[in-house]
Amino acid sequence: MRAQKIARLALLTALALIIFIIELRIDIIPIPGAKLGLANIITVYAVYKYSVKETAMIVFARVLLGVIFGGNISAIIYSMAGAVFCLTGMLLVKRIVPLKYIWLSSIIGAILHNTGQIIVAVIVMRSLAVLSVYPFLIITGCVAGAFTGLCAQFLIRRNLPEKENKN
Amino acid sequence: MTKGVKLLIGIVVLIFSVAVVFAVMGLKKSESTWVEIVQNNKVIYKLDLSEEKDRTFRIEYPDGGWNDVQIRDGHICISDADCPDHTCIKTGELRSENIPIVCLPHKLVIRFSDEGAGK
Repeated sequence: MRAQKIARLALLTALALIIFIIELRIDIIPIPGAKLGLANIITVYAVYKYSVKETAMIVFARVLLGVIFGGNISAIIYSMAGAVFCLTGMLLVKRIVPLKYIWLSSIIGAILHNTGQIIVAVIVMRSLAVLSVYPFLIITGCVAGAFTGLCAQFLIRRNLPEKENKN
Repeated sequence: MTKGVKLLIGIVVLIFSVAVVFAVMGLKKSESTWVEIVQNNKVIYKLDLSEEKDRTFRIEYPDGGWNDVQIRDGHICISDADCPDHTCIKTGELRSENIPIVCLPHKLVIRFSDEGAGK
């Protein structure tokens, strides 16, 4: 992997981490687990712009660092489950959803993200009680997913200078 | 718009509407006045809110950590806790049967229960 690529991926990871940390401070939705997921703008962007391996690296580095910086180590299992589900789903969906409909794959990613977290929550708590929040998570997830997806779409349309750096 | 995209949009719309239906159903108020406080899947308190006096008590978590449960005017909520996310506090008062107050870090759930209603 070329140094330039590494720097680019590291920059994206850092961006996602910054967004994630800022977002931790502005949770206004009173539903447990519901978040805007703004950091996923970077994820969606990476899914469409980079290879599977590179995207996975960005996302897992972000989740790991986010958990450490966020000071909530016990949340790592939820974050990871969400990330794995979301990433797998989006990478699969990417094959049929063209660039024009990024918002759609972002919504699907958001739904899968919440699904993964709920499944883990059910396993960890050994209780189905958390399932009752699931519909609310789906609704907020769809809205937030559409928003982050549109953000990513505008980003990609700008076509950030990728090619002019050919050395 | 390809077939795949249409299909996926259809699926998303379907999931979304099902979620809305369930969410609306979940918002209905509970008729029961009994609540149970569950820690680590064990019921540790069972209270009748209509008869409880206003008070605040602390639930300790064996591995360290606590939640302050507040009862006021027949409503129950978590008023303070040392968990990192404070989701349980933000949930506010327990209103619906289907939305329990959950503190994931402390494995604590406060929810309405039917079983005590007849007693």
